[in-house]
Amino acid sequence: MKDAFIAFQRCGKHYGSHVVLEKLNASVQEGEFVTMVGTSGCGKSTFLKMLLGTETQTTGKLLFNGQPIVAEPSEDRGVVFQKYSVFPHLSVRDNVALGREFAESPLLGKLFGQKRRQALAEADQWLEAVGLAAARDKYPHELSGGMQQRLAIAQALIKHPKVLLLDEPFGALDPGIRKDMHALILKLWKENNLTIFMVTHDLQEAFYLGTRLWVFDWPQHEAQDSDQHGATITFDLPIEQRDELQASDLEFPENESPVLMEVA
Amino acid sequence: MKHTFTSALAAAAILGSLFSPAALAKDNFKICWSIYVGWMPWEYGDTSGIVDKWADKYDIDIEVVQINDYVESINQYTAGEFDGCAMTNMDALTIPAASGVDSTALIVGDFSNGNDAIILKDKTSLAGIKGQSVNLVELSVSHYLLARGLESVGLSEKDISVINTSDADMVAAFTTDDVTAVTTWNPLVSEITAMPASHSVFDSSQIPGEIIDTLMVNTETLKENPKLGKALVGAWYEIMAGMESDKSVREHMGKASGTDLSGYESQLASTKMFYQAEDAVEFVNSDSLKQTMEYVAEFSFDHGLLGEGAPDAGFIGIETPSGVFGDESNVKLRFDPAFMAMAAEGKL
Amino acid sequence: MKRIINLRPSRPLAVALGIVPFILILMLYSWGSDLRKAENERDKLLPSFTEIQKAVDRMAFTPSKRTGEYLLWQDTKSSLKRLLLGIVIAAMVGLVVGVLTGAIPLAGSHLGALTTVVSMVPPLALLPILFIVFGLGEVSKVVLIVIGITPFLIRDLDQRTRELPQEQLVKAQTLGGSSWQIILRVVLPQVMPRLMDAIRLSLGAAWLFLIAAEAIAATDGLGYRIFLVRRYLAMDVILPYVMWITTLAFLLDWSLIRVSKMIFPWYHTAK
Repeated sequence: MKDAFIAFQRCGKHYGSHVVLEKLNASVQEGEFVTMVGTSGCGKSTFLKMLLGTETQTTGKLLFNGQPIVAEPSEDRGVVFQKYSVFPHLSVRDNVALGREFAESPLLGKLFGQKRRQALAEADQWLEAVGLAAARDKYPHELSGGMQQRLAIAQALIKHPKVLLLDEPFGALDPGIRKDMHALILKLWKENNLTIFMVTHDLQEAFYLGTRLWVFDWPQHEAQDSDQHGATITFDLPIEQRDELQASDLEFPENESPVLMEVA
Repeated sequence: MKHTFTSALAAAAILGSLFSPAALAKDNFKICWSIYVGWMPWEYGDTSGIVDKWADKYDIDIEVVQINDYVESINQYTAGEFDGCAMTNMDALTIPAASGVDSTALIVGDFSNGNDAIILKDKTSLAGIKGQSVNLVELSVSHYLLARGLESVGLSEKDISVINTSDADMVAAFTTDDVTAVTTWNPLVSEITAMPASHSVFDSSQIPGEIIDTLMVNTETLKENPKLGKALVGAWYEIMAGMESDKSVREHMGKASGTDLSGYESQLASTKMFYQAEDAVEFVNSDSLKQTMEYVAEFSFDHGLLGEGAPDAGFIGIETPSGVFGDESNVKLRFDPAFMAMAAEGKL
Repeated sequence: MKRIINLRPSRPLAVALGIVPFILILMLYSWGSDLRKAENERDKLLPSFTEIQKAVDRMAFTPSKRTGEYLLWQDTKSSLKRLLLGIVIAAMVGLVVGVLTGAIPLAGSHLGALTTVVSMVPPLALLPILFIVFGLGEVSKVVLIVIGITPFLIRDLDQRTRELPQEQLVKAQTLGGSSWQIILRVVLPQVMPRLMDAIRLSLGAAWLFLIAAEAIAATDGLGYRIFLVRRYLAMDVILPYVMWITTLAFLLDWSLIRVSKMIFPWYHTAK
C-alpha cells in the first residue's frame, strides 16, 4: 500500500477538559471523495477545521503527503462554506481572479493591464466551467444562493488546490438546485483530480456523492453527555458503483440500520 | 411622526413660557448676578439673609440668583426673566437698552481702577502694540478699554487686529507662543501679569470712572414698585458697611468667588468701591459720567452694537443727573441717584 | 378599527403630517414674536420675520463695511474648512488604527485598552493643553475636532472590522493572500462604506467641537459669529445662522449617503 495522501494518527482535540474528538485514525488516498455525517456537536466541523488549518489537533499527528500539515489555511486546500464564502465588494469575475492577483502582485494584491486581462481570462474559463459565465459582471448580492456557491467553487479552483473542503456547501439550497450542484461537483472532482472532504446533514447526498462515508459519533453511547469522552469516526463505509446509482434511488427507511438511526 | 409632534409640543411649551407677560405691580422680584469682584456683595447679602431682611421690611420677596455666564445673565434680564441684573455701564447700553428694555442704574457700586488691563508680552509700552493681534472678549469692556488705550497713544483699531477669545481660556491662551497681546479683566489680569515677560501697559486706572459696575433694574418695574428700590439699596449699604469694616465678610466673599482673602483684597485694591452712599451719589451727579457715557455710546455705535437701525451714537438716549446724552425722546438708560440718596440721608 | 400600531399614513398624508409641525412652530414663533413686540417694539429675543430677513440680507448679500467681505459666506467657508479637515484627518486615523486593531489581534490587544480609555476623556477639558501644544490658530480647532471624534471612529471601525465574517478571511487565506494583501483587498474595501456610516454618526459631535473651538478663539466662523453677536442679543442674526448650520449639517449627511451609495452599491443593496 502506498503512503497515504492524508493520514490521521491517534488525533484528538480538546478544549481544556472538554474532549471533542479522540482516537481518530484514518488515511485517505488522493482522489477520494469523503462525505462526513453525524449529529450536531459530534466534531465533524472541528475535524474539517483541522484539515483547513484553523484548528490544530491537541494530540496525535495529522500528516499531509507524509509531512505534518501546515497549521494555517493555505493554497493547497481550497474551501467552500455554507455562506460568506465570496467577497460582496467584488464582481463575480474579480472574486475568481482574486486568487491570481494575490499570487502575482505581492505588494498591492491587484493586477493591471496585460496581466489583469490574463487573470480575468482565466477567471472566465472557471466561470464557464461552473456555469456562471453569463453573470460574470454581477455582484454576489445579485446572485441566487446556488449561483453564489458556484462562484465560491470557481474561486477556490482557480488556485488548483489538491484538496477541496466543503462545509455543508449545499445545506441552504432548494432541492432542485442541489441536484444541479451535485452534478457540478462530481464533474469538477473528476476533471481536476481533487480530493474532497465534505460535511453534510443529508444522508442521501452523502451516499450519492462520496466514495467513502464517515459517520462521526461517540463510541460509548451512554457517555455521550460526558466531557470526558470525545467523538470519533465510528463507521467508515466504502461506497461502490456510485455511477450506477441515482440519489433518488436511495430510499432509506429511518430505522433500518443502527448507523442510520444515529445519523438521522 | 409622533416624535416630531411631541417636539413641536415641547417647543410650544418653551415658547409659551417666554411670552408670560410680567405683571407690573407685584411683590415677588428676582435679580441676578455673576461672579465678579464688585458683585460678590450680592452673594453675601443672599447667604447672610440681609437681602431677605430688607425685603421683609418692605413686605416683598426678592430672590437673588447667581448665573455662571455673565452675558447669559444680561440676556435673561433683557428677555424679562429678571427684574434686575448686575452689569457694567457699557453692557447695559448695548444689551438691554439697545433691545428697548428701559433700564435704570439703581446702584452704582464701584468702578474699575486697574481691574481691566492691556498686557503685552516682551514689550513694555502700549505703543508697541502696533501691528499685533490682540486676544480679548470682543465687544466687551476689554474691547472698550483697548479702544481708549489705542486712542491715548494716537493709534486706532485699524493698527491692530482682534481675536475673539473666551475669558475662560485667556490665561491658557497667553501661555502659547502666538499670543503676544491680550486685554482682559481680573482675576485673569493678576494671573497673566504673574507670568514671565508679561507687562501691563495700560489699565483702567488710566481711564478712572469709565468702566462702572452697576445693578440695573427695569425702569418700569422700579417706577411701579419703589419698594424694590428701597429694599435693594438698603440691603446693599448694610452689606457695604460690613464689607468695609469686617475682614471676615471680605474673606467670605473671596472664598465664594473661588479665591481667598488676600486674592480678593488684591482685586479690591484695583477696584474703587463706593462703600458710602454719598460717594456714589456724588459720582453719579458729576459731569464726567455724562462724558463717559458719550465715549461708551460712540464706541458702541462704531462697532454696530446699537443696532442696524441706529443712525448715530445718540440714537439711544442716556439720562444722567447732569443731562441727557442723545435722543431725549428715546431714553432707555438712566442713572438715577434718588434711592442711593435716600440711603445717604438715612431715610430707608 | 385597526390597532393604532397598524395604521400607516398614505404617502401624501405622511408628507402633510411631516410639514404640519414645522408650520406650527413657525406660527407659534410669529405669534410669540408679535406678543413680545406689542410690549416692547425693540425686543430682540424673538425678532420678526422682516428683521430676520434684513439680517440675512446684511450678513449674506451685503459686503461688510469693515472688511468688505460677505460675512455669512466667509464664516461658512472658514467653518467648513475646519470641519472637513478635521473629519478627513479623523477618518484616516480612525480607518488605519481601527482596521489594524480589528484585523490584527496583536495590535488589538495593545491599542484596544488605550483607545477605550482615551475615548472616555472629555476633550474640552483638555483645551489649555491643546492651546499650548498646537497654538491658538487654525491647528488647535482642527485638532479639537480630530481628538473629539477619532476615538469613536477607531472603536467603531475596529468593531466593524471584527464583524466581517471569519469565513471570508479564511477563504482569502486559502486563495494565497498574505496578511497585508488580505487587509488591502478584503478588509479595507469592505470597511470603507462602514466608515461612511461612522462619519455620519459623528457629524453631530464634529459640529459641536467646531463651534466650541470657534467660541474660544477665532476671527471668523459660524460658531464665532453666533457667540460674538450673542453679546448684544442679536437673535435676528443667530436664528438664521442656526438654520444655516442645520441645513449644512443636513446636506453633509445627505451627500455622504449619496456618495456612499454611488461608490459602494454592493453595500447598500446587500443589506
